[in-house]
Amino acid sequence: METLINGIKTEIKMGRASILKSIKENKPAFISIPEIDIDFFKEEIDFLETFKINVELVGGNITELSELKHLNTEIKNKYPKAKRIVSDISASNLGTVSITKETDPHTLENVDLAIIKAEFGIVENGSVWISEDYFPIRILPFITNDLVIILSKKELCLHMHDAYKIISDRERTFGLFISGPSKTADIEQCLVIGAQGAMSLTIFLV
Amino acid sequence: MSHSEKAAIFNKNEAKVNWHDKALWFVREKRDTAAHKVKGWEYLRELASGIKANVLSNLDNYLIEFETNAVKNGIKVHWASNAEEHNKIVHSILSENNATKVVKSKSMLTEECHLNPYLESKDIEVIDTDLGERIVQLAKETPSHIVLPAIHKTKEEVDELFQKHLGTKPSNGNPEYLTNEARKHLRNKFLNADAAITGVNFAIAETGGIVVCTNEGNADMGAHLAKVHIACMGIEKIIPKEAHLGVFLRLLARSATGQPITTYSSHFNKPALGTEMHIVIVDNGRTEQLSREDFRSSLHCIRCGACMNTCPIYRRSGGHSYDATIPGPIGSILSPGKDLTKHSSLPFASTLCGSCTNVCPVKINIHEQLYKWRQLIVKDVKQPLIKKTILKIMGKVLARPKLYAIFGKSARWMLTYAPRFMVYSKLNTWGKSRELPKIENGNFDQWYKNRNKNG
Repeated sequence: METLINGIKTEIKMGRASILKSIKENKPAFISIPEIDIDFFKEEIDFLETFKINVELVGGNITELSELKHLNTEIKNKYPKAKRIVSDISASNLGTVSITKETDPHTLENVDLAIIKAEFGIVENGSVWISEDYFPIRILPFITNDLVIILSKKELCLHMHDAYKIISDRERTFGLFISGPSKTADIEQCLVIGAQGAMSLTIFLV
Repeated sequence: MSHSEKAAIFNKNEAKVNWHDKALWFVREKRDTAAHKVKGWEYLRELASGIKANVLSNLDNYLIEFETNAVKNGIKVHWASNAEEHNKIVHSILSENNATKVVKSKSMLTEECHLNPYLESKDIEVIDTDLGERIVQLAKETPSHIVLPAIHKTKEEVDELFQKHLGTKPSNGNPEYLTNEARKHLRNKFLNADAAITGVNFAIAETGGIVVCTNEGNADMGAHLAKVHIACMGIEKIIPKEAHLGVFLRLLARSATGQPITTYSSHFNKPALGTEMHIVIVDNGRTEQLSREDFRSSLHCIRCGACMNTCPIYRRSGGHSYDATIPGPIGSILSPGKDLTKHSSLPFASTLCGSCTNVCPVKINIHEQLYKWRQLIVKDVKQPLIKKTILKIMGKVLARPKLYAIFGKSARWMLTYAPRFMVYSKLNTWGKSRELPKIENGNFDQWYKNRNKNG
């Protein structure tokens, strides 16, 4: 075992040196990086309305709340059968299962509903950015049967260029853009909602 | 077997070919609708192409920058010159962790390296977790499309496969039922996996992080449950800055399926508490392609599959007729660089209509590169005798106006009077599945002269 691992370690070093050497010999003369001029992408559109349309386009549900105090009632109405609920406390106090960074991700196997706060939404594609800051276990938004996202109406940006500006100073661990529920069209191109991840996604706009 | 021979087999089932053709064209139309909604789409394509050109011109430095930053964040980085080294590295990571059950999300690189059979020979179970890939894995086949791996399978065929391997009930190919059964089957695999292997869509030099895009959520289901995550990437997956993802993520899903973005675009920067994350950087012929000035830009490819969906040859011949890991137009310029003799028929599997070039989000001049490969191939690889002879004769005929006139006359006479078996002989490959045109009223030359006479 020892020699095997050592043997491979030498090979790894050789791989690195030979790849870098080969690139150096074969690459073209330096070409500079183009600047992204985001003025090209400016659009005068209604952020909220377009965002709502795009969330539905990607298979998500969206509910606009007039007041934050209705949130729990609305979630219960939407998911009446959910028993095992993991909720980020900054979003809702409906949680019945509490988790920490030390929780074994496998124990979330039967979670019915996860409630997670999104940091902001992107108008052009109906996606939201969620990060580990709001769900201590990375598997949560994927393994849960249904997913509820809480998003402030004020936190919308037009496109992905603005999105990357917003997250440029974050502490980089794990985060994602999520747009709608898990889906597949791998059987004869028929769209089926609920492949390996969450079966539904509802965004509550507050 | 050449592409045309394999395509002939695929074309035996006419109804299936017609379905395949239409299904892919539908995806192409969805791509158009999505692209037209984006203000500045063409500018986005230019940016993407420019960024990729910069990447190739500074690739060694970006890879070093990426490695430094990834290592800083606790990720282990490995380098593999070829498929064999890649497979050995992956296996060594698995054995160090006593991992015998592996779940894998879509990675064309691991297909290219034939990782699955290698690991299986070492008694490791590898389960492909993308639904389409699981279907082809159960059928003991390879993906026929890089985004839609099982596009060549009918729902009835999937039904039968699942009955046999997953114990499902006959459902006449009900997609909801079959997808849900696959979900249960794969859940069990995810929960019991020791390690997860994923591909990489983008690796960011500036941050040392990677982005993995899926619609099903299978990459994340694997990577966040298992103790060990191994991400495998070709050297060309590097982009300089995180802000460049803004360009590429806007282009990728729209070009691939017409979605504005994939369901999940996951940004991995640090391993989770108590887990390990490895990245294997692979060359396997890419630096050689980098050396070929005419074909270098094929390394811009972000694997969206748009060139396949639009290609009239791909749509009517199916991915397997290319007999290569990456089929379709982009595969036909990548594969000859790996094995010119084996893949010599691929650059000819094109009408050179240029539709692939028009839809490519990173502006690879695919059809021009196909034409360039043809010129190299006719010099280096033996061509079929009939094709060679006919082209030689035609070259002579076309260069001599008198000979051309005689040739035209006799061809018209043949088409009018010669018996069918002669006109549609083996020499006339054009007439294999087509009727030749009816000859009417002499030739253009005569008509033109008469027209002048009549004023």
